Amino acid sequence: MTPGERVGGAGGAKPPGVILDEVSKFYGDVLGVNRVTLNIPPGITSLVGPNGSGKTTLMNLMTGLIHPDHGSILMRGISPRSPEALMRITGYATQYDTAPRWATGFTFITTGLLLFGYERAEAEERAWKALERLSLTEAATRKVAAYSKGMRQRVRLAQAIAHDPELLVLDEPLNGLDPLVRAETIALFRALANEGRHVIISSHVLQEVDLISDQVVLIANGMVVAEGTIRTVREEIHEHPSQYLVRCGNASDLASRLFSEDHISEIKLHDDRMGLLVMTRDREQFARALGRIALDGHRIDGVVPADENVDALYEYLIGGE
Amino acid sequence: MAGAVSRRVRQAWTIARIELRRVFFAKRGLWVHVLALLPALVFVGHAVDVKSDRARLGRGGLTDSALLSTAQPGETLESVKERLGKPAAERASAGTRRVRQRTGNSGTTTHVIEPAVEARFVRLTVTRPTYSGDRVARIYEFEVYGADGRQNLALGRPATGSRPCAPDQGPEKAVNGSLAGGKTDRWCAEGWSAFLQVDLGAARPVKRFVVRHASAGGEDEDLDTRDFNIQVSADGKRFATVATSSGAALVQERTEYRLLTYFDGRRVARFQFVDNTLDSRNVDTLVNFTEDRAVFAGIFQYFYLRLAVFFGCLGMFMYLFSGEMTNRTLHYWFLAPARREVLLAGKYAAGLLASSVIFGGGALLAFAAMVWPQDAVEVEAYWSSGGLSDAFWYAAAAALGCLGYGSVFLALGVWLRKPILPAAVLLVWEGVNGILPHALQKLSVLYYLQSICPVPAPMDDDVPTLIRLLAAPAAPASRPGAILGLLVLTAVVLWFAGRAVRRMEISYGAEG
Repeated sequence: MTPGERVGGAGGAKPPGVILDEVSKFYGDVLGVNRVTLNIPPGITSLVGPNGSGKTTLMNLMTGLIHPDHGSILMRGISPRSPEALMRITGYATQYDTAPRWATGFTFITTGLLLFGYERAEAEERAWKALERLSLTEAATRKVAAYSKGMRQRVRLAQAIAHDPELLVLDEPLNGLDPLVRAETIALFRALANEGRHVIISSHVLQEVDLISDQVVLIANGMVVAEGTIRTVREEIHEHPSQYLVRCGNASDLASRLFSEDHISEIKLHDDRMGLLVMTRDREQFARALGRIALDGHRIDGVVPADENVDALYEYLIGGE
Repeated sequence: MAGAVSRRVRQAWTIARIELRRVFFAKRGLWVHVLALLPALVFVGHAVDVKSDRARLGRGGLTDSALLSTAQPGETLESVKERLGKPAAERASAGTRRVRQRTGNSGTTTHVIEPAVEARFVRLTVTRPTYSGDRVARIYEFEVYGADGRQNLALGRPATGSRPCAPDQGPEKAVNGSLAGGKTDRWCAEGWSAFLQVDLGAARPVKRFVVRHASAGGEDEDLDTRDFNIQVSADGKRFATVATSSGAALVQERTEYRLLTYFDGRRVARFQFVDNTLDSRNVDTLVNFTEDRAVFAGIFQYFYLRLAVFFGCLGMFMYLFSGEMTNRTLHYWFLAPARREVLLAGKYAAGLLASSVIFGGGALLAFAAMVWPQDAVEVEAYWSSGGLSDAFWYAAAAALGCLGYGSVFLALGVWLRKPILPAAVLLVWEGVNGILPHALQKLSVLYYLQSICPVPAPMDDDVPTLIRLLAAPAAPASRPGAILGLLVLTAVVLWFAGRAVRRMEISYGAEG
């Protein structure tokens, strides 16, 4: 493989998506993400959920910084356990607001590119281009540690795109950007997505991303609450106010566990006997109860908020914690 | 396949180059350089000392080396100077001490009264009991003589006096005519102004008194009575002082010391004169190459390998993973398109290069500084008889120490964040290595380093067995065997570290 060559490249067959199959991750006995199954096509996909819902965990799993306890992940056909192949086509801008003390914006990105095997001259040229795309050329020779928060956010973005990746994973990339830069950045995401790349971004504010996303994945308490285009997600939310559909292994067992919770008002066995329709007065408590039950070893395949109205979900996502 | 291997090697080298600058020049790592240069500083100090001595003595003039050992104790200063000429250095000093003037009567004083007085009662009052400051008055005999001067009028007469130190040392012992009976043959009283009084029975003419003090009875001269007076009385009520003795004075005794130093360019002869007579002499070379090499071997094994290299590697290698985890920068490495093992290899190579240069260089510098002030002829002989090989193996032992300790601390840094406890455990493990069963000894880095060192560390014969075992564990006899063993140990440790780093996860604490 020569530098710059793409794995699962854009030419020819349609590139495979980002596939998560029943992925779970626990931190000790704290639930990180639970049985997440996703198939993300190219384009801009937003992971939306309140702080602590598992967005960063999911992104770290996708990029191999942490490993799943159960389930498997394939990123355009490559396992995150093979960083040598995966990171060549992947750029990940983390939320960790750190940079090596010695690094200026320019040396920071150049050094990263050297690890891709680029000659120094090419690495410097690419670093300069990436800085240009994020309007950071003026600050290029200053220490990253001396940047403002927004500039550090952008230099991490520049680093993530510098090697021209097929697959971008960006944790809260719009956080801390002023409106003008934000518009430029969104335009950049759009341009990258139009080239057939994956651009996976996270946000805890739905309004921030609903207009720019091709797909939205709503996450709460480590579980996928809804996914699809923003329109289908909204419609789905409109139709069934105040009700959840819980997919699970042993429905009657789960029903008896849930009934002891006092915020549950009604439980109906789903027609196919593989799930429950649950009415709850308190979404938060319900989600927490499900988390506890999942930790106890019950198989919970999925939770679909069959009834939330948009306002309630907005409040949930925006007002979160 | 070969292409993939060479690409990974290149990648590891790229990682090493990026890390090198940091491990070499980190401000936080300054103490590592200090540790590495400490022995060199010690030997440079020694060398400067020797060189300045040589220059100073040389300025004073050189002496024919055949003459240096001719001076014999007992010879006078003048004769030595006449034969050997002007010394390279001369230092004189004088010591004084206070001594009591010799009186010649060894503790016996005689007091003649002129003209004779009539007296029935005679009294001896001690106002300062001793020269030494002791507060006890000691009188072995108090004799009173009349006009004829033969008969001791006090002999056997009733005597009274201050309270005696003990019942068997009362006033009667001072008039019993004897002083050979030791301490119980004396009058003894504590406290200043003790008095001793004798009743002669009737008023008689008295012309002479003889007082026998502590040293007359065999005690130390300093215990002789210093100040006293003698009084007489006819009625036992009104006394008149007829004799006062303020004893002998203390004088300064002066001793002159003189140190002559002669130098023939190599050897230094030091002659110590006391009152211008040669008392002792010492001829030795200005520097002792053999001794300095032994000192170097000791410093190298006991300080350099066991502490400097150990803690230096701890600082440099632990940081490579656990430090970056603490600083929250490790994920940048994990997000590079490189196998984790390649990352480990690159970081290890950086640490190994830096530490080998620092500690191998430190060892060579110290070695050079040790050789620097030595006699040129001896150095010449040393180089032609394996000196260069010694220097090489010292540097190699330091570098191989970095290889072994580096792999261990790199692995610990992958597993653990806090280095203090494991480092302490490891230090103890390496320390007690010598008393472990042979199979376990092979799991220590020091075990192999011992036999790579070119000169065995000095060990005095009187060192207790346990410490001897701790300080000098049994080591494989052959150098190739030791190097091979160390390489195998390092490879095993690195293999475990590779497994661990593949499973390593980024966890900086609070996750979003």
